Amino acid sequence: MWALIDCDSFFCSCERVFRPDLDHKPVVVLSNNDGCVVALSREVKAMGVKLGIPYYQLLQQYPNSGITAFSSNYKLYGDMSARVMATLREEVPQLHQYSIDEAFLDLHGMENFDLKEWGEKLVAKVKKWTGIPVTMGIAPTKTLAKVAARFGKNYPGYNKCCIIATDEQREKALKLFKTKDVWGIGRRIARRLEIAGVTTAYEFTQKSRSWIKSRFHVPGERTWLELRGFDVIGVDEMDSRAKQTIVTSRSFPGMLTDFEDVKTHVANYASRCAFKLRKQNSVCEMVTVFLQSNFFREDLPQYSNSMSFVFTTPTNTTPEIVKAATEILRMVFKPGIHYKRAGVMVSEISSARAIQPDLFEYDAELSRKYRKISEALDEINRKLGVDTVILASQQYKERDEATGKSVNFSHAIKRALLSPDYSTSFDAFAIR
Amino acid sequence: MKEIEIFSGDFSGELRLQYADSGIFCGFPSPAQDYIDRTLNFNEDIIKHPSATFYAKAIGDSMIDAGIEEGDILVIDRALDPQDGDIVVAHINQEFTVKYLDISHKENGIIYLRPGNSNYKPIRLKEGDELNIWGVVSNVIKRFR
Repeated sequence: MWALIDCDSFFCSCERVFRPDLDHKPVVVLSNNDGCVVALSREVKAMGVKLGIPYYQLLQQYPNSGITAFSSNYKLYGDMSARVMATLREEVPQLHQYSIDEAFLDLHGMENFDLKEWGEKLVAKVKKWTGIPVTMGIAPTKTLAKVAARFGKNYPGYNKCCIIATDEQREKALKLFKTKDVWGIGRRIARRLEIAGVTTAYEFTQKSRSWIKSRFHVPGERTWLELRGFDVIGVDEMDSRAKQTIVTSRSFPGMLTDFEDVKTHVANYASRCAFKLRKQNSVCEMVTVFLQSNFFREDLPQYSNSMSFVFTTPTNTTPEIVKAATEILRMVFKPGIHYKRAGVMVSEISSARAIQPDLFEYDAELSRKYRKISEALDEINRKLGVDTVILASQQYKERDEATGKSVNFSHAIKRALLSPDYSTSFDAFAIR
Repeated sequence: MKEIEIFSGDFSGELRLQYADSGIFCGFPSPAQDYIDRTLNFNEDIIKHPSATFYAKAIGDSMIDAGIEEGDILVIDRALDPQDGDIVVAHINQEFTVKYLDISHKENGIIYLRPGNSNYKPIRLKEGDELNIWGVVSNVIKRFR
């Protein structure tokens, strides 16, 4: 059996541990530069707010709603995440952290335990020790454990621990579960399934193995097996299922009108995306660039646009992704606009191990070179610090007088609503 | 401020340090050697549950008789179950506070949070009042310079 532990509204919960007055009150966490909402509490979700909404729109659309907003405090979230994982590790030695707020626990050998009771106890322990509310899903496969966790979250009756053990439980759960919410089935595949008349996970499992395999290849087949109760997704493979899209987006510290200036930012976002892809050992097929003027300045002409580029062979190298992003930018950039924000999104992400090169366009030698460059970049930047070596197109004009280095990407960030480093500093948390 | 009492030192005895000398053994080294530790590990001693331990700075003088002064660092262990007489960090009336927990009148439906300073009044909580005991103060760290 596998258990998935999923922290409830993790970033918001981290803030609430040190602000118990905000329990059961609406809380959001904003992206870097306080641009848009990256995390929302259950109360905010219930108001109909969607993830990703720009903060200014939230303020406009939900005035007097009592929402408390925080800037992202990644130091706090990282520390709280480590505490949750350490608390779990005391009970289950085999833990595979899957994201900052999720972990799979290997329960093999614990089949004789009353897992429901055990799980409820562990959930309560994590809450008591760290203050973070978590939900547990337990099932024979990781994909089903994800399903179970979602039921545990949505229905208080499960007491934060939902088990799918028998075939009846499995079928009942899958009949209520949308394919688009299944782990490993992206929105694109869900749409194709819908066209074929498949909307629930149960209907997905009722298709034949060959039907699934011919349309959705090996990953689809593995999801099909997992949903039917066969434990086939290994620990190594989890990473490639990680994120279906990676977005790097920031508001500019001021407004930008010059193409070269915007290009520098976009190149950095693209480079960041490429780095994140390599870190999770995956590749992307599509790059999207979006660009926005300052909506607060109604006196200025307004403009926003986005455009995508599809690679013939999926990639994760910095030169290729930066080049694609700057080419897209050239197409969407309109002169005479005061730009406030841009972003790069990479999507159609898959495992780097399963690249199927396009036979006509694939240049193996060039691809190998790009990979080498990217590996070297990662190695140097890991050893000597983020952004020690960057592409020429990423170079900001400003330089730090003292070091002579170009101004670091992460230094150009505004975080006005930042909470103190409660859990990592002796001075931040004061008690009378 | 209390007077400081000064004790005279007694140097007549002999201070023996634990000493591991495996050199005299032939064959297997003494299995006890691994357990002889000549250093104190303060982290281990003060922090029993690292993932549940948080630190806060004390403000004010409401716990002065408990030895907690402004600027002291409170070591808060959330893993401990609060017991009668513990010094706890509670969240009450939108605020964190550090007080003695008095649950000796619990059967009458009353819990007190008692200050360690006679100039302050205890906080009296009836059944139904919200009391959030955030954690138990396990240690206090003072800095003298």
